[in-house]
Amino acid sequence: MMKQLSPMRRGLVVAGPALIAAGAALLLGPGTGNWGFLRDLPQATYYLSFSFVRMIVAYALSLGFSLVYGYFAATNRGAERVLIPILDILQSVPILGFFPVAIAVFISIPYIGINLASIFLIFTSMAWNMVFGVYESLKSIPGDLREASDSFGVRGWQRLRQVLIPATINRLVYNSVLSWTGGWFFLVAAEFIASSRSTVALPGIGSYLLYAAGAGNGSALVAGLIVLIALITVLDLAVWRPLGRWAEKYRYDTTPSGDADAANAPARRVTAPLRRAVAGLARRVRTGFITASTPLVSLGTFALGRGTTRRRSFAALAGRYLALGSILIFSWYLLITAGVAIYSIYIHPIGAFALAQIRMIPYDLASSIGRLIAAYTLSLVIAFPLAYFLTHRPRAARIGLPLVEIVASVPATAIFPLIVFVVVLDIGRQATSVILLSTGMIWYLFFNLLSGMRSIPPDLDEAARSFGVKGGPYYRKVLLPAVFPAFITGSITALGGGWNTLIVAEYLSVSKTVQMPTGPVTTTHVVYQVPGIGQLIQAGFAENSAAVYVAALLALVVAVVVVNELLWKPLYRRAIEKYKYD
Amino acid sequence: MRNNDGDTMTLIEVQDIKKDYPSHHGTISIINGVSFDVADNDFVAIIGPSGCGKSTMLRIIQGLERPTSGEVRFRGKPVLSTCNEMAMVFQSFALLPWLTIKENVAFGLVARGWTPEKINAQVDRYISVTGLVGFEEAYPRELSGGMRQRVGLARALAVEPAVLLMDEPFSALDALTAEGLREEVLQLWRDPDLPPEAVALVTHNIEEALLMADKIVVLSHRPSRVLAVVPVTLPRPRDRKSDAFYELTDYLYSLITEGAPGPGPAGKALPEGTATPAAGAGPVAPADDPPPTPDASG
Repeated sequence: MMKQLSPMRRGLVVAGPALIAAGAALLLGPGTGNWGFLRDLPQATYYLSFSFVRMIVAYALSLGFSLVYGYFAATNRGAERVLIPILDILQSVPILGFFPVAIAVFISIPYIGINLASIFLIFTSMAWNMVFGVYESLKSIPGDLREASDSFGVRGWQRLRQVLIPATINRLVYNSVLSWTGGWFFLVAAEFIASSRSTVALPGIGSYLLYAAGAGNGSALVAGLIVLIALITVLDLAVWRPLGRWAEKYRYDTTPSGDADAANAPARRVTAPLRRAVAGLARRVRTGFITASTPLVSLGTFALGRGTTRRRSFAALAGRYLALGSILIFSWYLLITAGVAIYSIYIHPIGAFALAQIRMIPYDLASSIGRLIAAYTLSLVIAFPLAYFLTHRPRAARIGLPLVEIVASVPATAIFPLIVFVVVLDIGRQATSVILLSTGMIWYLFFNLLSGMRSIPPDLDEAARSFGVKGGPYYRKVLLPAVFPAFITGSITALGGGWNTLIVAEYLSVSKTVQMPTGPVTTTHVVYQVPGIGQLIQAGFAENSAAVYVAALLALVVAVVVVNELLWKPLYRRAIEKYKYD
Repeated sequence: MRNNDGDTMTLIEVQDIKKDYPSHHGTISIINGVSFDVADNDFVAIIGPSGCGKSTMLRIIQGLERPTSGEVRFRGKPVLSTCNEMAMVFQSFALLPWLTIKENVAFGLVARGWTPEKINAQVDRYISVTGLVGFEEAYPRELSGGMRQRVGLARALAVEPAVLLMDEPFSALDALTAEGLREEVLQLWRDPDLPPEAVALVTHNIEEALLMADKIVVLSHRPSRVLAVVPVTLPRPRDRKSDAFYELTDYLYSLITEGAPGPGPAGKALPEGTATPAAGAGPVAPADDPPPTPDASG
């Protein structure tokens, strides 16, 4: 029943990293003596091992946490009402911004303090998603299985072992894939941020890549990317795919056996842990957005209008948002004035420069949002046609999809040094930052659009063909509405990823004295930055300006929560209401 | 039917059960004062139109759900929580997909704290009784619908319940498989060495009720009341082509349709029974299993 990977696909999965590596080597070839990176592989592996250990520790913590938190949220009504909205806020705020706080908390412990901070950050990037997995699978245990357990008097340890824990396994495995993908991203980003202060050192693959790029050591850069991609690919093949196959046992079977579709479906899904994982992400948005109601949502409903009164004029809508925006900006200034006053009096007087920086925060926020919109547009322009192509050309998809999956599994942050310091600085900082941002956003859009397009019921397509609906009307009446919910989910998750990516996409710096792993001591002054809220957060941290950092972080968090609650949630609910199939 | 003539001790007394559910507009009454008895050695069928609360009734009998008012008594004692002396067979089978057939059959025994040796012996016994030998280590998804329901039956019989509760046990199966399994359940029921002492079967299939039960409780449309309690004294094995069978079918059919406004689904269930009894009497072929028919009755 379980279909194995075809030899071609398997070959491709193995050959993929090699191809990418060869491509990178070719790209950097002239400067580095072609195969020089081979020499750097051992060193890169050494640094990678630090990162890997941090990932494993953070994952173990997340697993334990998610089981406990998810269990309580799912089984205790009172706890659920508190725990789920908390989780929804936690998953939507850009946790990367809090890394400096974590450093400040843990730094007093020598050597392992910074590691603990990094593990804590990775934990926060992994845990929420897994908690949602546990919570949702416990909530969605079929009623008849619950009744059967009650009917046969199954409770306590047996219930936990035979009913509850098995029920969580399937989603937990796929959400773990997602957690690891996110974890790599934050691991590398954390090492970047730590590197921006020369007093803090977080050895690992991220700092290795950053130093290599800063020192212009192309072969070390290639070696670092190769070992990282190799590890991710090996984990995928040796851990996640077998685990995914094993987890199929823990799926509920709704279709009777012997059904050809049912027999093929698991195999198809097993071969794509990442794609499956994104479905988990979509569910998580759904849970967060539908279950977790905060007072702000009602404000959002007020602004956008209720689902039932759809025909609201654009002008009226814009007017409402404008009014809401003005109120928010006004309250921001009120808040910041009070905050600065209190901070100056009770903690530390704020210097004129820092004060000027704090005043400029709305401007920084605006330019960051502009950058996000640009990167989002860029991602959409690439992701939509790509998803469409891979949906409608099955033969191209057989080769193209595994390739895309490999590329997508590389943490976006890991290629930042390459892009920033080696390839693209020529095209200008603004353009570079938009490209960086879109690498952190595009896959959310792509995989959601892909699954949306693939899940269009075939009979809907057939009906369109049978009535001769094609071309423009087909797109307007069939494709776009059918894909709309997936598109909204993809947009929400992409923007969520984007807020986090902002922090490292607007500021990258290599400390002044660089000890290259394989070379002599070199001195470089490499700081890449573009004005924005992410840059302000990092600069505040790097320049040890706590007031600026706190204000910028606060502004970012408020902006994210406001955009989520006032724009995405109402929009999402309407999309779900109007365009779902059933 | 077992031959303990004269012994008619009452096992279950259902006394004036009412059940309301909260809804958008106040409460909806599902069951409105249902009473009947299940005696020792009774095979009782509960029939009624779809949505009349038959399945809810069964859950109230075991104590899985509490009635809004009224009382269920088992051997004279009120049922206040899940009753361990009863076991349920579910329409959807309700097997745990990650447990093997053996583990599924042992499900209730583990809960009752039996020792592993006793569990093993018991499981082996009921696996062989229900014709599942050779499938012990298989998983439910690897079996056909008919075989899965045998597992459901084995799991329920293994705890040796005094009363076996069956909630539309054959309606997720295709007509032939259902016919065969019905026959086997009747054979098991006739065996004096095997539990249970009584069976309560919920079904919307009049013919099924007439083929199996000694007593048929006919419920009305929602909110349900008891329209009639019809004793079935036809000789076994029952011949569905006999005039008496026809008459009873007609009688029950008119009872249900006239008691309920609009056409009920019970009428549609009739053609299903038109297969000759001989055709479905043999062992069930595991392969031919159409998708379970959706059934909204509850």
